[in-house]
Amino acid sequence: MTRDLRKGVTVQESSSSAIETRQTGNRVVVAGIAAIVLILLIAAILLFLNLPDANAFNARVERLFVENATLTTRLEISLLEILAQSGTAFSDTLSSYRFVIFVLLVFSTALLIAAVAFLVMLITMNRRMGQIERKGIEVNSLLIARDQNTVYLNNFEFKLTEAAIETLSVLAEARMDDEVLSGAEIEAVISGRDAADCDEAAGATRIKRLRDTLGNQMVSELLVKNIARRGYMLAIDKSVIRMV
Amino acid sequence: MKNLIASVLVFVALTSQAQAACYADYKAKQDDPLRLQYGVAQINGSCTVLDAATELAPRLATDSWKLLEVMSVFDDAGLEERRDSAGEFFLRY
Repeated sequence: MTRDLRKGVTVQESSSSAIETRQTGNRVVVAGIAAIVLILLIAAILLFLNLPDANAFNARVERLFVENATLTTRLEISLLEILAQSGTAFSDTLSSYRFVIFVLLVFSTALLIAAVAFLVMLITMNRRMGQIERKGIEVNSLLIARDQNTVYLNNFEFKLTEAAIETLSVLAEARMDDEVLSGAEIEAVISGRDAADCDEAAGATRIKRLRDTLGNQMVSELLVKNIARRGYMLAIDKSVIRMV
Repeated sequence: MKNLIASVLVFVALTSQAQAACYADYKAKQDDPLRLQYGVAQINGSCTVLDAATELAPRLATDSWKLLEVMSVFDDAGLEERRDSAGEFFLRY
């Protein structure tokens, strides 16, 4: 009993710390993605600044032409012009390379961001899965269909009596208002009388009946399965069973 | 007699003008695509490298040539040796 209690407490603590880790994790993700984008942006800027432009070759040839007084014959001049043209052609190739490199940079940015996001998602998913596994059943949705006397917990459908549905609805409404109801108050809401005139035990009985019917169905759905015309079986993995 | 003196004077004036004729060889370029030019041009102003440059630059600019430098100035004596190198740009501008 005390062990169970302690277990409950630790689950509570770990879930609150999980929320904190998720918040710091989110901050880390945002910072990481920002860092990736920043680094690749700087790389792209450096790339564009450092690649020589088309005129670099022409400027060299021009300087060569001016500095050498003997380069004056037609032949030498046309050779210089050919040199400059081939340089310009090469710089065209360079600019296409530059574009390709830029596209690759963008791709790598996207991939890195996706990788970081998926990694973090995987970690949080794992953590959540672990929590869910330890907690047993976690109610993600509760749908009360009053006209069919049915309640849907997650994907499980449970048929309840009219009185039990009534009790569950009252509890659900109180939960939505963040209220705690005493047995007498529950009885008062359902019967329509004043709470002072109601018996605490009457409400407690209603709760007990709700727990019995719902608990019975949940256990038969989750744990003790009834296989038609064959018998009964525990609906769990056999490797998790231990006897002390 | 008077005629003869006059004609002599005219001849002297012409030859002196011819002797004072000034030429410059220069280097110029065009951009996109880069084209280079070595040329020889007659200079009408004073016969210095600096003045030749200021005179040549606008003349070359009409054909969108950009003057890079004036290499030297010279008179008729230096003209023939540069004819081959200058080629089509010999005394063109």
